[in-house]
Amino acid sequence: MRKYDAVVIGAGNGGLVAAIRLLQGGAKTLLVEKHNLPGGFATSFRRGRFEFEASLHELNDFGTADNAGDVRELFDGLGVTDKIEWTQIPEAYRVIARAEKLDATMPFGVQAFIDKMEGYVPGSRPSVEKFFDLAEEIRLAQAYSSSVNGKTDSKYMVSHYGNFVRCGSYSVNEVLDSLKMPKKARDILNAYWCYLGAHCDDLSFLHYASMVNRYIKRGASMPKGRSHEISLALTERIRELGGDVLFNTEAVKLLTDEKDGGIAGVVLDDGTRIETRHVVANCAPHLVFGKMMDKVPEAEVRAANARKFSGRGFTMFLGLDADADELGVENHNYFLYDTADSVAQYGRMRTIAENEVQATVCLNRAYPECSPKGTCMLYFTTLYMSDDWGNVKAEDYYKTKDFVANKMIDRFEQDTGAKLRGHIEEISVATPMTYARYCGHPQGVIYGYESQYWDGLMPRLQMMGEDHKVRGLRFAGGYAMRLSGYSSAYFSGDISGRQTVGDIKREG
Amino acid sequence: MAFTFKRQIFGFMDLLRFKKMVPKRREKLAEGSSAPLPKTYRVNETAKILHPGYQSAKLTRIEQNTADTKTYTFETEHPFYFRAGQYVTLGCKVGESEVSRPYAISSAPKAALGRRVSLTVKKCGFFSGYLFDEAKVGDVFTLGDPSGDFCHEPVKDAEQLVGLAGGSGVTPFYSMAQAIADGTMDCALTLFYGAKTEAELIFKKELDALVSEKFKVVYVLSDEEKAGYEHGFIGADLIKKYVSGDFTAMLCGPAAMYAFADKELASLGLPLRRIKKEANCVGVRDIPPQTYTLTVHIGFDTYTVPADARETVLTALERAGLKVPAKCRAGGCGFCHSKLVSGSFLVAGADKRRIADKKFGYIHPCCSYPDSDMELIVPKA
Repeated sequence: MRKYDAVVIGAGNGGLVAAIRLLQGGAKTLLVEKHNLPGGFATSFRRGRFEFEASLHELNDFGTADNAGDVRELFDGLGVTDKIEWTQIPEAYRVIARAEKLDATMPFGVQAFIDKMEGYVPGSRPSVEKFFDLAEEIRLAQAYSSSVNGKTDSKYMVSHYGNFVRCGSYSVNEVLDSLKMPKKARDILNAYWCYLGAHCDDLSFLHYASMVNRYIKRGASMPKGRSHEISLALTERIRELGGDVLFNTEAVKLLTDEKDGGIAGVVLDDGTRIETRHVVANCAPHLVFGKMMDKVPEAEVRAANARKFSGRGFTMFLGLDADADELGVENHNYFLYDTADSVAQYGRMRTIAENEVQATVCLNRAYPECSPKGTCMLYFTTLYMSDDWGNVKAEDYYKTKDFVANKMIDRFEQDTGAKLRGHIEEISVATPMTYARYCGHPQGVIYGYESQYWDGLMPRLQMMGEDHKVRGLRFAGGYAMRLSGYSSAYFSGDISGRQTVGDIKREG
Repeated sequence: MAFTFKRQIFGFMDLLRFKKMVPKRREKLAEGSSAPLPKTYRVNETAKILHPGYQSAKLTRIEQNTADTKTYTFETEHPFYFRAGQYVTLGCKVGESEVSRPYAISSAPKAALGRRVSLTVKKCGFFSGYLFDEAKVGDVFTLGDPSGDFCHEPVKDAEQLVGLAGGSGVTPFYSMAQAIADGTMDCALTLFYGAKTEAELIFKKELDALVSEKFKVVYVLSDEEKAGYEHGFIGADLIKKYVSGDFTAMLCGPAAMYAFADKELASLGLPLRRIKKEANCVGVRDIPPQTYTLTVHIGFDTYTVPADARETVLTALERAGLKVPAKCRAGGCGFCHSKLVSGSFLVAGADKRRIADKKFGYIHPCCSYPDSDMELIVPKA
């Protein structure tokens, strides 16, 4: 039987980083991935003369060499920053909400953001300044927490990061309410909520403020070769460090040790048995505990059952035979909502019939050369907050896809004034079925477990230790302790990879 | 810090609330049901019908269509679904080689839900020759995932399709004609079907029987003049004679037909978005024979195999009996995506790889000819 110190299951963003961390820690590591490409959602695909980004809207907290964000520092540590060619996203976002007749375009840079907000909402400045003060304190508190591996001293926390602790148990809406932020300013500031997939009554303020700060403070970046470039760079690094990578290879079973119930090995889809005492699973606990283990601790079953799947993904990709100026596509990324009330909006995102939300990106606005001269690319993403796609039968599938695609195009044209019809040269549509197919996620979920009030970022981080119940089994990716999103998934791989190195060292 | 955040009347209550987050979550997780977690989910099950992956298929019927064309009907392991116009790979072991080829599906999408699928094959090469001469009812083959975008895409395509078919290129259109007749596809199709002689027309009887308001067929014979048939090649004048208004042209046939049709369609002023062309398999290249050595890593194993410089890397792998991914055989689908460790190669036709693939040395073996000894990491099939 082949033997490895650790096996990483899934070459998604979390798995790729975990594998590098394991190798850097001296562990002999095998990475297995059921698809023929690394990256999971972080990939690209060709259609005609276009290469579409599969999922990344913008990578936050990367920054520049002299204003490095946490993600850049992580990539520096992994040894991949220079393998990737980056471009900067020009502006934060444009949010359009019909019910409130809201149409605001927000810049990167904290001061510029506050100033622009004051322009849209006179009198908003004090509360928005307070928001960024809190957000910055959250960043510092999180940095402290990371530096002590989550084992924070509560007295130190209260004395140094008192506001962090005092606002830490509240939702976005509760905190903004306490800051007395004018409603319109809240509506503009909350636009990013769909990036985290929980509405602002549920979403932890710490989590949201932390993300907004990561975007606004340092801007956002995009690899020129799409996210596929990041995924290949990480894979390259794994091979440089002597790691083994197998694509088209699914891990189907985890073998457990009879004595302690911990990890003893992994069985691959062709029956190959790998001996290992450590697994980092870059997939849903629902899959691991649902079908990959014979004996599952009851606490794990209860915990998984208690949690809620987040949004199921849907993305339409268009390659257009006219450039963005000609089509009237003015911005890089758009949030189009029926209403800026995220609670009401979340409710309307349950069904295929009702959901009209979209987060739309025109990559050419950040990187004009990403498609041939005289063309541009757009991708439109939404989330379904229920399993409605489970009701769609195979024979109705293509018509359902087209129904949503047409709605998205109409909505974009109506809300922004752009003209896309008559210029669509290529179209591709990814649905929950597509995400289920490529990444294996239950129901086509793309954001892991939802950031519900009780299951938000803070308690997940604080409970990392006790959530680790099966010896030798740790998780990375959107279902893990950092929740979903590119940077979060990378960090989860960093944490679980380093923790597993520690586990291995302690075993001697 | 310029201000102190406070939400409750007394600040310490905010602190207490923070402290309760962990016990609260602990409690919630413990309250979850102890019922076993699901083994699968509805969306994932539907995804398996849309994308069954490799499956076995038993040959149930062979029908001779013309002197050099047969239709093979299979019963598949699983029900599946596809878009009319798509292809699947059909493969099996022939001698010591693992061989597969993509073939357009000639049956209707609905039939696949009942586990029946037909492929129409023209005898023209190694694998089709094997099928013609050796395959018999009861044989079991491996069928790949339904693939390709040679389909009507209602969001962007015109409501009227103009099909240009040459020879066995009629197969996807026969599937479409059935899909239009049974309501699966909602568009009109005028099919221009070119062949040398009437005797070479595949599915003529079947196509004639499907003619309706929405489906028309015009036969174009190049080597015969006959009443009821157009004579010559499928050109702009012929299209104008039968079609008016906006349309999307779909081309499926040999390279020579594309070369001719490209000019004709250009004269009609059709933009790129109104033209779809089904890709043809990469063939051999016309250079003097030369043998190179390929060092191939698959899974935990390493193989050394010879490669003829005139054939693609994929063909060399298959000749050596290695089970490797193969699908479109035209460089476009990326299914055979492999890492090049060392060596040089030439891409046949347009390079359809991703930007980062070129940068990090990934190739598509199905469209790459070896120009030196090569070392590759190839995923298993």
